[in-house]
Amino acid sequence: MTRNKLYLLLISLVTAGYIWLVYSFKTVQDKPMLEGCFIKQISGVPCPTCGTTRSVIAIIKGNYLAALNINPIGYLVIIIMLIVPVWICIDWLLKKHTALTYYKKAEQFIKKPPVAILFILLLIVNWIWNIYKRL
Amino acid sequence: MDTQKVDMFIMSNAKFFESHHLNAIRERLLTVDDSKWPMISTVQLKDPTTSLIISILAGSLGIDRFIIGDTGLGVGKLLTCGGLGIWAIVDWFLIQSATREKNMQVLQQFLY
Repeated sequence: MTRNKLYLLLISLVTAGYIWLVYSFKTVQDKPMLEGCFIKQISGVPCPTCGTTRSVIAIIKGNYLAALNINPIGYLVIIIMLIVPVWICIDWLLKKHTALTYYKKAEQFIKKPPVAILFILLLIVNWIWNIYKRL
Repeated sequence: MDTQKVDMFIMSNAKFFESHHLNAIRERLLTVDDSKWPMISTVQLKDPTTSLIISILAGSLGIDRFIIGDTGLGVGKLLTCGGLGIWAIVDWFLIQSATREKNMQVLQQFLY
C-alpha cells in the first residue's frame, strides 16, 4: 500500500461517509432511512455494524447515551471521520507520511492473536446485542 | 537454481500469481541460490478462488480482506457495512488480483 493510494482511499471513504450522513440526516425525520446494509436487506437480520448511522446522528444531536444504546461503533466511526481528514491534510501539506506509518503499525497491532480475538469477541457480542435489539 | 525445479514451481503455482509477474519470478528464481529452495517451495500462498468465495459470502463484513492480510481495509469494510454494499460488490472483482499481489509480496521476501 503506497502513501497516495491509502490517502486517496481514506479521503474517498470519509467523503462518501459525509455524503451518506447528510443524506440520512435529511431523510431520517420524515421516513425510515434508506437501508444501506446488504445483509439486512437480504436476510432481515442486522449485521454487527447496523445502526452506526443512527448512532452517529444521535451523537451529533447530543444524545450520547442513546447513541451508545443504538450501536457503540458509532463513537469509533465519528472519531475516525473527524480525525482522518485533518490528519491527511496535515500530512499532505507537510509532505510527510505519518498516517501511513501509523496505519501500518495499527495493522500489525490488530493482527496480534490476543488483540484480534478480543476485537472479534467484542464484535460478536455487539452483533448478538444488535439482533436482540432488532435494529 | 535448476531450470527443472524452477519450471516445476512455476507450473504448480502459476494460479497464485498475476500472469505478468510469472516471467519475472522465473527469471529471478533461476538466479537465486539453491539453499533457498526449501523455503521457496513450502511458502504459504493464498488461493484466489477461496478469497473470491469468501468475498461473495462474507464480503460485506470485510472478512475477505482480513484473510489476505489487508487488516486495515478489512476494518474499513466492516465498519461501513461493506461500503454500503458498493465496496463489497467492487471487491468481488478486485479480490482475486489483490490476493495474487499479496502472494507476490510474500514470495518477494524470499527472492531478494
